[in-house]
Amino acid sequence: MAQDLKTDQSGYMLMNKPDYPRVSTFPNLVWVILLMMLFITVLLWAVSFVANAPLEEMSEWAKTPNPAKAPWYFIGLQELLVYFDPWIAGVMIPNQLITGLILIPYVDVSPTIQGRYAWEGRKFAISVFTFGAIMWFALIVVGQFLRGPSWQVYWPIIDYDIGGHGWVREGMPLKQGITKLKSMSMGAGATLILGYSFFGMVLPLVIPKMFPKAKLTRALKGYLDVLGPIKYFVVQSHILMILGVLGKIILRLGFNVKYILETPWFKI
Amino acid sequence: MSEKPEEKSGIGKTLDFLAGLLTSNPIYKSIFRVGWPNTVLKRMAVMRSSFYMHIFPTKVGKHGLKLKYCWCMGGIVFFLFLLLTITGILLMFYYIPDENRAFQDMKDLQFMVPFGVILRNMHRWAAHGMVFTVMLHMMRVFYTGSYKPPRQFNWAVGVLLLLVTFLLSFTGYLLPWDQLGFWAVTVGTNMASSTPVIGYEGPFHELLGVQIDNDIRFALIGGTRIGANALVRAYVWHCVGLPLILTAMMVFHFWRIRKDGFSGPM
Repeated sequence: MAQDLKTDQSGYMLMNKPDYPRVSTFPNLVWVILLMMLFITVLLWAVSFVANAPLEEMSEWAKTPNPAKAPWYFIGLQELLVYFDPWIAGVMIPNQLITGLILIPYVDVSPTIQGRYAWEGRKFAISVFTFGAIMWFALIVVGQFLRGPSWQVYWPIIDYDIGGHGWVREGMPLKQGITKLKSMSMGAGATLILGYSFFGMVLPLVIPKMFPKAKLTRALKGYLDVLGPIKYFVVQSHILMILGVLGKIILRLGFNVKYILETPWFKI
Repeated sequence: MSEKPEEKSGIGKTLDFLAGLLTSNPIYKSIFRVGWPNTVLKRMAVMRSSFYMHIFPTKVGKHGLKLKYCWCMGGIVFFLFLLLTITGILLMFYYIPDENRAFQDMKDLQFMVPFGVILRNMHRWAAHGMVFTVMLHMMRVFYTGSYKPPRQFNWAVGVLLLLVTFLLSFTGYLLPWDQLGFWAVTVGTNMASSTPVIGYEGPFHELLGVQIDNDIRFALIGGTRIGANALVRAYVWHCVGLPLILTAMMVFHFWRIRKDGFSGPM
C-alpha cells in the first residue's frame, strides 16, 4: 500500500528516483546529528554560564509594573493592542494566523516545485509568507525593545525614569494622551470596510479583463486559472486580512484613527 | 560513493582489529545485534536493528544532508525538547507549585541547590531557543516547499506543534512566581477574556450570560485573577498535560516524515 502511494505520486517523491545519489544513514546522518547535539549542548551550557535567567521580586498582584509585557513570542500580539481591541488582536488575529498557516499547502498552486529554494514559480506564495513573517517579527521587535512605560515609544538606549513621561517633549505626539484619536463616522467606516472587502475581492478578477495585454495580467490569469473559485476566495480573504492589519496600523499612526467602525456590539 | 572496501593503512587495520575484539563478543552482540558496521550491509543493518535508530531510513539522499538545505532545525527543536525534559525533571525535584513556596524555591535554586542556577538557566534559555528554532524550522520548510504533496497534513500538524510549543513556554513563564511571569501571564490570559461570546469582555458575551466567574479565562486560570489555582493549573499543564500532547503529536509528525518521504528536488 505504502509502495503504491509512492509510485502514484512518483513525481513528488525523491525516494522513487533510483539514480538519486544516496548514502547510508550510518554514519553520514548519524554523524551530523551527533555533532548538532554536541554543539547545541555546549552552546546552551556556555550561554547558561554567562547569562542568568531573569528573576524579579516576588509576585504582588496589587503592584502592577508599567509596562507589563507578555513573553516575547506573544508581544507582537500585545503590540497590536495599540491598533485593535483585544478581541481582534488577541483572539481573532492569532486564530486567523493558525488557520491561514494550516491552509497554505491546500491552496498551493505549484505542488511540484519542492525540495529546493525556488523563487521562480512561487513568487506570490513566497512574497505573502515573507511579508507576514516580517510583520510578525517587526511587531515583536517594536513591542520588546521600543515600548516603555504606558506603552509609549522609547528608544532602548535611553535611560528614562520610572514613568518616563518627562522625556517626552511638549508638542511631540508620542503619548497617547497628547495625540487626539478620533473614530471614523458610521457611514465612512462602513463604506471603507465594505469597499475594501468588495474591491479587494473583485479587482484581481477584473483587472485581467480591463488590461488584457499587460504583463501582470498574464501571470495573474495563469494563477487564477489554477486556483479556482474556492481557493481564490480563501487566499484572497487571508491576504485582505493581512493587508487590513497593516492598513489599520497606517490609519492609526498616520491619521489618528481609533476605530474605523463603531457599533454598539463591537469596534474595529 | 564507492562501496567497496578500500586499501587500509596500518592504523586502519589496527582499529579494525580492536573494534573486532570489542564487537565480536557475545555481550556486545546481545545488546547491539550487529557487529562493527564496516560494510554497507552492516551499516544499513545497524539502523534497522536498533530501536532508536530505526526512526531514520537506512539510506538518505545526499541532498537532504546539506546544512544549507535542512538547517538541522527540526532536529535542534527536538533535541532542545529532550534537554528541556531532562532539566525540567530535575527542576521538579526542587519546586512546589504553591503560592507561598514557589518563589522561595526559586531562591533556593539560586543559593542552596548545587548547580541550581545553571540548571534553571539551561531550562530557561533552551525554552526560548525551542520557541525560536521551531519558527525557523517552519520557515525552512516553507521556503524549500517541503510542505507540498504528500506532506500537507504533516505541515498542519507542525503548525499545531508550534502552537503547543508556545503554550508550553507560556505556562512555564508563570512558575517562578515573580513579577515578570505573573504580569506576563496576566496580560496573556486577559486576552482570553476578550474572546467573542465566551469571554466576559468580548463581544456578544451576554448571549450566554457569561460573567467574569464563568468565562473562558476563568476556566484557564481557575479564578478571577492569577492566584494559587492558576499556579497549579500552569504547573500541571506545563509538566504533564502539554508535554504529553506534544509528545503524541511529535511521534505522529516523525512517523509521517518517514512515510511521506523527505522532500527533494524534482
